[in-house]
Amino acid sequence: MAHLQQSAIFTPGVVESIQHKAQTGLYEMRGFGTLRQRRWATFDDLTFLPCSLTRIPLEGYREKCSTKTLLGTRYAKKPIELDIPVMITGMSWGALSYNAKVALAKGAAAAGSSNTTGDGGMLQAERENSRTLIYEVLPSRYGINIHHMRMADAIELTIGQGAKPGTGGLLLGSKVSNRIAEQRDLPIGVDQRSPARHPDMLGPDDMIIKVEELREATDWQVPIFIKIGASRVFDDVKLAAKAGADVIVVDGMEGGTGASPSIFQEHTGIPTLGAVCEARLALEDCGLYGEVQLIIAGGIRDGVDAAKAIALGADAVYIGTAALIGLNCNKPLYLEDYEALGTAPYACHHCHTGRCPVGITTQDPELMQRLDIDAGAERIQNLLHAMTLEIQMLARSCGKSDVHHLEPEDMAALTMEASAICGIPLAGTRKVFGR
Amino acid sequence: MTQLNAADLSTRELNSRLRDLVARDDAEIHVENPGARHNLAVAMLKSGKIRFRGSVGYYCGGLADGISIEIDGSAGWGLAESMLGGTFRVHGNAGNGAAAAIRGGTVVIEGDAAARLGVSMKGGTVIVAGDCGYMAGFMGQKGVLVVCGNAGDAFADSLYATECYVGGEIKSLGTDAVASEVTDEEAAALESLLAANLAPELRALKPQARRFRKVVAGRKLWNFDKREWKIWREAL
Ligand SMILES: Cc1cc2nc3c(=O)[nH]c(=O)nc-3n(C[C@H](O)[C@H](O)[C@H](O)COP(=O)(O)O)c2cc1C
Ligand code: SF4
Repeated sequence: MAHLQQSAIFTPGVVESIQHKAQTGLYEMRGFGTLRQRRWATFDDLTFLPCSLTRIPLEGYREKCSTKTLLGTRYAKKPIELDIPVMITGMSWGALSYNAKVALAKGAAAAGSSNTTGDGGMLQAERENSRTLIYEVLPSRYGINIHHMRMADAIELTIGQGAKPGTGGLLLGSKVSNRIAEQRDLPIGVDQRSPARHPDMLGPDDMIIKVEELREATDWQVPIFIKIGASRVFDDVKLAAKAGADVIVVDGMEGGTGASPSIFQEHTGIPTLGAVCEARLALEDCGLYGEVQLIIAGGIRDGVDAAKAIALGADAVYIGTAALIGLNCNKPLYLEDYEALGTAPYACHHCHTGRCPVGITTQDPELMQRLDIDAGAERIQNLLHAMTLEIQMLARSCGKSDVHHLEPEDMAALTMEASAICGIPLAGTRKVFGR
Repeated sequence: MTQLNAADLSTRELNSRLRDLVARDDAEIHVENPGARHNLAVAMLKSGKIRFRGSVGYYCGGLADGISIEIDGSAGWGLAESMLGGTFRVHGNAGNGAAAAIRGGTVVIEGDAAARLGVSMKGGTVIVAGDCGYMAGFMGQKGVLVVCGNAGDAFADSLYATECYVGGEIKSLGTDAVASEVTDEEAAALESLLAANLAPELRALKPQARRFRKVVAGRKLWNFDKREWKIWREAL
């Protein structure tokens, strides 16, 4: 046995975590999303099967491949029409800086997509710079304002998030600045824990009435989304559909966060790949697949992940972390400030501290200046365009004139797990495992 | 005064009519036969007066700004939830989560309130002439919550800065809630608040309401402190 052999159980990370708890008396809290090293089935376990003799591909960059995305066709008088199926997810002003919120809104608008408010309510500048704005109604109801709600193009009733299903939000005192405290009606500098449950409803039956209330409040004009953190996806999606959702958002275990207990990020909920498959099955089971639209979130990195999610049944994807990375999250700039946080570029997950080296997840005016709104917006626009090109490229190669025509049949599984989860034959066999 | 018969109208039709009438500055609208229906008078955004001549269901007057609503019967869950401004008066009782997450305005409940009264309040004033159920004031952020009668279990749990007053017995205080005597100044302010909002005979129903106690946050949950781990274990 080598002298310096490390334990496979008490790894350096585990040792550090135990000592952190012994020192502080508190569990670990951080931002970003799961850091788990052990792998589980992901979109990487699937590969596309482009056309050869059985099907005819479309001419890349020439033949039309539509990316128009319609959401909210079930009940809303004014469904949302987006140019692309990649949307910016809800991230709160509070977790994010003002500059980051406005840059996301501007970038999404320029790319013909949407952005979503977040815990803490709407910023006026966010509305002014958005083309399509989705207004979140969260359990905390921070900043809830009916006038803002009625300016929105859709309402998202949030039940949970993938990074921390079954718990509420967190914003540590360092980020509860004067402006954030005022917007959220809180004392300045408190460690704000927001509730896990809505204050005026409990179960799915109440939610049916709540959805009707939101429709009445917006005159049945705009779509109502229901967002759930992926845990019992099959049942939850059916209940959300029964409650009258136009659109259901399912956020998988890989979902990002501004601040959550790390055990929730690592050990709760189910991964996004399984979540999209269960969600589709649920909608098919109640005969609403295609009528209720599905948005998938959680660890979507590029057009490939997005295309695979769409092929498995999603109508669109939400991106959070990828958008922040587009704004320079984890980029090797201001190295001394990463170091001051005890971290480094590519390994930073310190959004909860409020000391984001690149000005994204901070309320500090000086740090925030490091994110130029227009430059950030341009990067978001570029990212959304590039992701859309990737989706189109894959769709054309599979012979699709509309990215929404991608289907499970266009893919093969690379692992038995993925085959069993997605109901797709394992590459090299004609067999779906587990069937 | 305009009269509408809810029995003849769907919720959508009734709310549209109410919104139109309120927009036209119709001073007073009476709604007959509300039938404890849910989502009545949601998001009324102008001043004006709506009187329900019976009981209403969930979320009556939810998301209001500026309206004055009077309910002759009782109200279901989430009365006036997330209101920005306006006044509500319920002659009967109110269900769970009355005045949840309100940011302004006044809610007066002349009977009793059920569980989670004023939960996540962010402003405004809530007055209950009778008793309230468990977890009233939970995570209250701002505003004033007054219960003239008795309060249930876990009163004012995990409070931020809502000022809470109870006239009767408090079955148990919530985590980090601290009760104290009211100062003369606070007693006088309470007296005039109640005089302005409750008829003398209602105030007389609860004679103990002369011995109000104030409940505020002990602030031990405001910022994590490892020396307070017992209280945090309960709270988290
Ligand atoms: C900084 C940050 C703040 C967030 N704030 C909110 C929020 O206010 N409300 C919400 O529903 N989800 C919030 N989320 C979760 C996202 O909406 C979304 O579900 C998740 O980021 C998707 O996963 P991804 O980051 O891997 O794309 C936040 C995520 C991040 C990274
Ligand atoms: S660079 Fe900023 S946004 Fe990115 S993980 Fe670090 S603190 Fe969070």
